[in-house]
Parts: sequence; structure tokens; C-alpha cells
Amino acid sequence: MPDIMNFDPNDKTPTIVDRLIRAPGVIIGVAVLLGVVLAVVLVAVWMLWGDAVRALLGSQLGLSIVIIAVTIGLMFSVIATSILFERKIAAFIQDRKGPNRGGFWGVIQPMADGLKFLLKEEFTPARADRPLFILAPCIAFIAAFIGFAIIPWAGEIHWPWMAEGETVTTQVASLDMGILYIIAVGGFGVYGVVLAGWASNNKYSFFGGMRAAAQMISYEVPMGLVLVVVLLAAGTLRPELIVNQQAETGIWNVFLHPLAFVLLTICAFAEANRTPFDLVEAEQELVGGFHTEYSSMKFAMFFLGEYAHIITGSALIVALFLGGWHVWFLPNVDDTVWWAALIKFAVYWVKIILFIVFYIVIRWTLPRFRFDQLMKLAWKGLIPMGLGLVVATGVLVALGWQRNVPANLIANAIVLGISLWYASRSPSPVTGRQDNLPEIEVRPSATT
Amino acid sequence: MPKIIIDGKEVECRAGISVLQAALDAGWNIPHYCYHPGLKVVASCRLCLMEMKMPHPQTREPGWAPKLFPACQTPVRKGMEVRFDSDKVRENQKHVMEYYLLDHPLDCPVCDKAGECHLQDYSEQFGNATSRMVEDKHKNPKKDIGSHTLMYSDRCVLCTRCIRFCDEIAGTGELRKVNRGSRNEIDIFPGEPLENELQGNVVDLCPVGSLISKDFQYKQRVWMLNTARSVSPADSRGSTIWIDYNKQGVHRIRSRYNPQVNEWWISDEARFGWKYINSDKRLNTARIRRGVSWEAVGWEELPGILRDRFASADENATAAVLSPMMSCEEAWLLAKFIRQVAPRATLVRGYVPIEGEDKTFPKGFVIKAEKCPNRGGVEQIIAHFGGNSMDFDEFVKAAGAGRFKAAYVVGGYPKEWITEAHARAISKIEILVAHDLFPSLLDQHVAVQIPTASFAEREGSFVNCDGLLQPFERAISPLEGVKADGQFFHELAGEPGLFRAEKFRVSVAGELEMFAKVHVPPDEPKYAH
Amino acid sequence: MRDEDIKVLEAPKLTAAERLFMPQIIDGMRCTLWHMFNTKIRNNMVTQYPERKRELRVETYRGVHRLNKDADGRVACVACFMCSTACPAHCIHIEAGESPWPDREKYPVKFDIDELRCIYCGMCEEACPVDAIELTPHFELVGRSRQEMIFDKEKLLSVYEETKELKPRKNPAVTDYGLTGGQSKEVARPTAEP
Repeated sequence: MPDIMNFDPNDKTPTIVDRLIRAPGVIIGVAVLLGVVLAVVLVAVWMLWGDAVRALLGSQLGLSIVIIAVTIGLMFSVIATSILFERKIAAFIQDRKGPNRGGFWGVIQPMADGLKFLLKEEFTPARADRPLFILAPCIAFIAAFIGFAIIPWAGEIHWPWMAEGETVTTQVASLDMGILYIIAVGGFGVYGVVLAGWASNNKYSFFGGMRAAAQMISYEVPMGLVLVVVLLAAGTLRPELIVNQQAETGIWNVFLHPLAFVLLTICAFAEANRTPFDLVEAEQELVGGFHTEYSSMKFAMFFLGEYAHIITGSALIVALFLGGWHVWFLPNVDDTVWWAALIKFAVYWVKIILFIVFYIVIRWTLPRFRFDQLMKLAWKGLIPMGLGLVVATGVLVALGWQRNVPANLIANAIVLGISLWYASRSPSPVTGRQDNLPEIEVRPSATT
Repeated sequence: MPKIIIDGKEVECRAGISVLQAALDAGWNIPHYCYHPGLKVVASCRLCLMEMKMPHPQTREPGWAPKLFPACQTPVRKGMEVRFDSDKVRENQKHVMEYYLLDHPLDCPVCDKAGECHLQDYSEQFGNATSRMVEDKHKNPKKDIGSHTLMYSDRCVLCTRCIRFCDEIAGTGELRKVNRGSRNEIDIFPGEPLENELQGNVVDLCPVGSLISKDFQYKQRVWMLNTARSVSPADSRGSTIWIDYNKQGVHRIRSRYNPQVNEWWISDEARFGWKYINSDKRLNTARIRRGVSWEAVGWEELPGILRDRFASADENATAAVLSPMMSCEEAWLLAKFIRQVAPRATLVRGYVPIEGEDKTFPKGFVIKAEKCPNRGGVEQIIAHFGGNSMDFDEFVKAAGAGRFKAAYVVGGYPKEWITEAHARAISKIEILVAHDLFPSLLDQHVAVQIPTASFAEREGSFVNCDGLLQPFERAISPLEGVKADGQFFHELAGEPGLFRAEKFRVSVAGELEMFAKVHVPPDEPKYAH
Repeated sequence: MRDEDIKVLEAPKLTAAERLFMPQIIDGMRCTLWHMFNTKIRNNMVTQYPERKRELRVETYRGVHRLNKDADGRVACVACFMCSTACPAHCIHIEAGESPWPDREKYPVKFDIDELRCIYCGMCEEACPVDAIELTPHFELVGRSRQEMIFDKEKLLSVYEETKELKPRKNPAVTDYGLTGGQSKEVARPTAEP
């Protein structure tokens, strides 16, 4: 135990703990050890209660429960990793080194961050609405997580011990209205933010909450339109069927609807409140925005919620446009053996992580929008284009060309062309000093 | 009223004054060390030299005389034309300043005059930035020349103001110039220190840092001080003073020009006798006697308690002792309060401390024997309210005879003022309220004890021995636990709002004429010193 | 300011392609990604602090204060209050007194600097007439309480002892304000033109 009270700040000799934490071998060793222990436990379970495990994996309900457990575990690890990636990539882009003290390359930094959040003082403002103040981060957290229920992780599985032709699907819930569910749950996310802003009893928090409400409602509209484009083309609301279509034909939707893909990506950024759309927590204007008054674990819940939102958004985009678990030379829909499902699962997560990296790079590339620009982009840019796409796709569907790549690309080009033509002709908004404006008569106001 | 022309501008001035005084009055910044309007003119510093138009000896044509004239020694004459704004005058000032700084130690960082030093000001405004002096400077150790004064000869410019002050105003003549030439310096006679009762004034008079007050030395730098216009409570003369203070409290007192009362001077008593305001013996809690013990009471409850107590007493047996240490406003408000609760109450003129006899100095400066600032004001107020009144001796006698059941006794004297006989007589009063600065013999008989604020912590006005009502400002906030008396009496008398002495004087001016005739002395000209 | 002095700048008109912002975003990402994968710049730029330290310009670096000592090892400060007057953060508190030495007039009985209030602007160093207060290149300032971070005279003098080899005192000649009669000859020698 180091002598904390007589600690000499000039003493440069690293402590034993310091040396152990910094050594890559130690951390890799611990990770391998934990992996081996997990494997041994799993094998032991398989040996001891093999029938029960087989029954569990073979039934849809049991598999759903297993997938929930696995997914939540994975979610937390990916969130932790993406926080580290966020900081590392930010540092690299700014020619810094980023966290490199917690473990080699900073690998246990997320653990340290989490520990810090746990140990921090939990603070509630005196005049806050306490129940809502506590409820808000829970809502934000849960809303970001439950979208996962309909993500088709790895298609169908046929376990070796199951009857011929019988499969279980690797989805928590296979719903008829899956995409609608995503929209509904996504809309729920704004609730947590608005409640947080309101319950804090702080005007900056409130501004942040209001901005969040306006922003999320505005971007829900183009997002819905883009989803309509995909759904029209696919003819189904089930995400697993949409993925299967892409996998069977080998043509991802992004090749059919590139414009819709860009629009949905923009909307996903806005929905996750990430830069360049993070006006909700604009430090320069609102201190911290809706989470100004939050500290400790409550703040961490918002933080986790934000990253969970990113992952959900990525997973949705991957499912709708990037072929879900599908890669051309890897197992396709027909491969239902269990190792094929594992490969599909891994592919899906790789795609998600790549998309998260894309999110992060965008965050450190683009500056923040102004609020009027944000609104202008949604209402004057994305929504008209989305409507145009819906019309174009509708025409293609009526003609039966919905999976015809050239026809779709031509339709996209036409919509883009019309938008650009209109944009170049539309008058620019009146900002700043302009010579050609008519004089406004200034009358002294009646009150003064 | 002769009119003279200075720098081409026509200036109207009083007859019989010097050109320098006329120029200073008119707002010219003329450097000068030796000239002081209260002292004889010696024209020794040669800084105020000017050009004057004179008739040519042969042609009788008026023209600028080739020689420079000392402005302080030239009386104004009708139609004379002088100029300070010429190269010759500026050249003279520059060279004289260089001479003054030849042997100056330039120890401004450790000099307590720095910041209000006219050597600094003039060398910046009229002097040179560099010195051509390469020889060693004279080193003169500091000298202890008096009980309150130190002398730094090496900083001296030999203006002899201090010598003239001791000769003319104090009439004691302790200081002299000794030696000749470059060794010339100011000193006392061996074994005869500067020990007159006005010696503090030589520190004010000194235009440089040569004479330093022991009291203020090393305490503060002058640019860190704020000033408040006040009136000295040391005697009934009512000398006007500057209180120099900052966040840490009062640091020194200087005289404030007042042609009708104290001119430029104040007594050492007024200058150094204010230390009691920092005494740790001062009362600092309002408290009520409960049986044998005291109980602290909040200022906001106090007016109600006092009103109840006095209302319960027999109104014929009620009295208020108005101390001559109170300001006129406070005395008025207390008299008003006591007449509200007991219309037939007796108003008593408080104890008037008298020490020795009036001391008059050669040129007419007087130190009064009466060591309280406001006897006149209190008497006028008692006369205005009419009804029963008596002076303090009568009050003590009557109290001893058991005439009074309730009394509000105000003290506020810097020294012990209650004798044992007084205390024994006054102790017969059942409801005794004492409003005082220090603990006294009365304490054991008191029902309610209220601390009072010192003169630097209050605002108001005093009427001096000549009947002039002179206002004074608050410098510092009262001691913790003490409330400014004006505000407290304001609340006690049931007046609304905050107490502001000036506003209050205006509001009662219609009732008592005294409050309408406020005497505010004129400020000295900006560049005079 | 006349009317013709006012220059009216219009916002640049964006073309249709520019309004899409996509090329610009890709351009920006190219820049950020270039930096992201450029380890050379990164490794040259970053100083890993506790193990490696930047080379400071000792003469001008503004770190912790010190109070210099004169040739006899006494505090060089003459308690003139210039530093506390110049201090924009009001962090210097001095109490002056008569010096115990016959050749010195005034010295600081107490000299406290609140290092937490200080903004390290160096105005005190500028203001000091005897070069007694100086900022050192020492910047690793730690303490466990606010009280500990108020440096008193002894502490400031000990900082001088620690840093005098690293940054010698600039001008030790000007110390004897007071009874000896002011500046030494070297300083008083006229260098400016008359």
C-alpha cells in the first residue's frame, strides 16, 4: 500500500501497480485467462446439462433469451470500446496520443472511466423534480437499448439436434411490423432527453431538452420517408426479410437507393445527437445542455444511452442498406448450420463497428450546425428529397423494377438533379447586411 | 477685484494675494514647494518663477522683462500681465527640478510619501526623465525629531514650510536650518525635540517625504487609500478632516481645508486620537439583562422592545440623555422617539467633558477644552423640542433622588465618563438603556445595552462651538455586531426607509432652522498644496 | 468612420454542388484521416509529460514566484507594494515593517502570494523596482489545501534557493534603497541621451 499522505509528487519511480497495468502481457494474459475460464465453464455446462442446453437453444423463446444476454453483454463491451476508440481517434486526428496510461494503449481506460462514474458524487439540484429527474436517464438508456429486439443478427439456425427443416431465428422478436417498432422506440428516446431538461429545473437544461425535441421530431420525418422508400421496394416490414432479399440477390439496398442511404445516415446522426447535430449539448451556449445537472451514474446512463443509440442506428442502417450479415463470399441464407450463423453474427458486428468508426471520424471532422441551419437541412433539404424518392420508388415499384439497379440509380439521379436545380434557383435566406432589401420603416414603439 | 492676465487669459482675483495664488485659484498647475497660503512667503524654492510684462526702462514700452519673477512673492496688480507658458519658464522649472533631484535618494519604493509626493509629481510634469548626476549622493540617516515625527534629511527640498509653521502657527520654533551649502539641512536644537500639540501638521505640510508620521509609517501606500470628508470629534472646535481608509479600516487622519474654522491645521489630538475606534474593548452586541445574565438581542427586535419598555413606564419619570457625541440627526431622532412614547419625558443634555482650558496659538488656532463635538447641536434640539429639560448634573441629582423610572442614556465618549457617584445615582433608574462605545460603571445597572458606532462609522453633522453645522461622511462600515446609530434611531423613531443624513437634514430643515444652514467648506484649488 | 470606410462583404454564393456539402465533407474527412494515420507528426508533436519534459525558456517562463535574496542572504524585497498594486488578480498581500538591518529601511514582515488566485501574468515582476519578485520556470505546483497554496515569505525564499542555479538573479545591484542613500553608482550612471 503506497503511503498516500507522504506521497512525494517528484518521485518518478513507478509503483508495482503502475508497472503491472502498463505491461501488455499482463492484460493480454488476464484476458486470455478469463476467456479460458469462460470456455471451461461453457464446456462444463455442456457436459453436465447438455440436454437442457440443447432444449434451450432449440426453442425460439430460449434462443431469444440467450441472444438478449449475449447482445447486452456485447453492447456494453462495444460501448466501452467505442468510448476508447472515440478518444483515441479524436486524439489521432488532432495529432495527440490519447489515453495511454490505463493499460497499454489505454485499453483499460473505459474501465477506469466507468469506475470514476461510479465513485463520483451523486448530485440532485434542490428544486429539481426528483422522480422525473431519476426517471429521465432510465428512459434514455432503455429507449436506446430496446431497439435491438428486431435486429436479425444471423439469419436462421438449424441446430444439428433439431428435426430436419426446422429452424430457429436469431432475433429476439420476429415482428410483422419490425421497422415500425424501431420508429416508435426511436421516437421514445427524445422523451428521456426532454424530461431530463425539464426535471433539472435549469434553464440551460431546459433549452437543451427543447432543442432535442425540435431536432428529433424534425428528423423523424425524413427518416420515416427514407424507411418508406426501402419498405416500398422490399414490400415487407420485417427486417429479416429485407436482409434476406439483399442476401439472396446479392445486391445491397445501398446500391439501389444510395440517396436514401445518405439521407438515413444523416437522420441517424441527428437522432443520436452527435456532431454535427449535437446542439442539444452545445457547450458554448448551454453549458452541458440537458445533462448539465446530471452527475455520477445518472450522467453515465445518458452517456451509455448515446452510444447505445449509435449502435442501434448503425445496426438498423446495416440491416436496411448494407446487407445485414451478408457478405458475398460468406454463408448465405441457405447456410443454416450453427458455425455459419456465428460467422454471420461476426460479420454483422464488424459492419456495425466500421460504421461506428465512421460516426467518430465524422464527429471530429465536421463543426456543429447552427440551429437554423439544422432546421433548414431537415425541412428544406431532406424532407423534399425524401418525398421525391418515395414518389420515384413508387413509380418503380408500380413498374415492377424495384430491384433493377440501373432504373433505381437513374431515379436517384433524377431526384438529386431536380433537388440541385431547385436549390440553385431558390433565393438564399436573408442573413447579414444586404443592399437590395427594401428600406424598413422604423416607427417609434408606442410604449416608449 | 483686480483683473490680471495670465498666459493671455484674463483672470479675476482677490486683491492682495500673490500671482501664484491667483493662478492656482484659476486652475493653473504651477509648481511650488515653499509657498503655502497659511505661512509667510520666502520665495526660496524658485519653482514658481514667471515672466512678467514691464515697461522698458528707456522707451517705456511694455514688454516681457528679461528676468524671471517669483510668482509667490509678486502681489497682483490691476492690469498686470504674466505668463507661465513660455520656454523660459519651462526651462527654469526643468533645471530647478534637476537641482532638487541631484541629491535625492530616489527611494520612492520605501518612502511613505510616494503617491502624494510633489517631488514625484513635479519631476514627472516639469522635470527631466534622466539625471546627469554621477557623483556619490549624500547619505543622511533618518532622525527622530519628535514624538510623532521622523525626519529624512536626504529627501528634503529645504522649502522651510515646517520651520515657518513652528515659528508662526505653533509659536514654538523648534526647527531650524543648520549648516551651509550642500550640507544645509533642517534639524532640531540638540535635546529639544519637536513637541508641540500641532506637530502632525508639519507632515501634511511637507511637500516631499522628508517629514514622516511615525503613526502612519510603513502602514499603507497612499494610493491604496480612499478618503472621506469628516469632522473631528476631538473637541468642540469642529475641525474638518479627511479620513483615509480602505478595506482594512482607518489608516490616518489629515486636516481638511476650512477657512472659517481650522484653516489648514488640526491638533494632534484630532490627528492621532482616533485609535479607540479599533479598540477590542468596544461593545459589539446589543443585549438585554435577564435576571443576572445577559442575553444578546437582534437589532431588528430592539426598537419594539425599547418601545414596549418605555411605554410601560410613567411618562413623567422618563428621560433621554442626549450625548454631545451624537450627531444632530441622531439627537433629533432620539428626542422624537422619546417624545412619541412619553410626551412629557425629560430631555437631558449629556455629559460635557472638559479638560483644562482652551489653548490658543499665535495665529489664532484654538484647541478647545470642551472635548465633545456637538454640544451646540444637542442644546438647540432640546430647545426645539421644549418641555422638560435639564443638564447632566441636574439629571444625576434628580435620578439620585429617585425621580426617574426609565431613561435612555447615550454615551459614546472615547474615555471613561461615568464616575462612581454618577453610577450610584443613575442606578436608581429601573429601566436604564445605555447606548455606549465602551463598557462603563453603568453596565451592572443597565437593562438594555446597545453598542454605538464610532464617528468614522457614522454619517451626520456636528454643530461646533461657533454654531456652524458641518456634515461628515461615513468612512468604514461599523464593527461587526454594531449598527450605525443614525439608522438605528431612524428605525426607533419609526421613520420609513434608510437613513441618509443629507436627505434627512433636508426633510427636517423646515422644522429646525439649524438643519438648513449646512456649512460645507470650499475645496482647496486642485493644484494647491 | 465614414461610409466609404465600410466594406460590405457578401457571403460567397454556393453552387448547386457545393450546396450538397458532400464533396466538402469528403475533403474534410481526407484531412482528418490523413492526420489520423500520420504517426510521424504525432510522435514528434507529443511530449509524454512526466517522463519527458519540454525545454522551457528559463528567462521568460512564468511559473511559481520566488522572492530573491540580496548578497547577504536577506530578503531583497523592500515592501514597496508595487507588485500588489500591479497585480490584476489581487493575490499579493504584504505587510511592511521597519527592517531589522541598519542599512535597509523597510522590509516585508509578511509576504503572501495566493498561488491559486494568481494568473501568472508576470506584472509583479515588471513592477518590482528592485527585481526582488521573479517568476521561475518551476511549474509543477501541487498542494492538498487552499491554505497550502498561499505561499508565505519563507516558502517564496525557499523557491529562490531551489531555482537560483537554474535562473540566477538578474540584477543584484539594486538592493540598498534606504539609509545608504539610494541606487548604486552602476545603476545611476546616465545611459540615456541628455
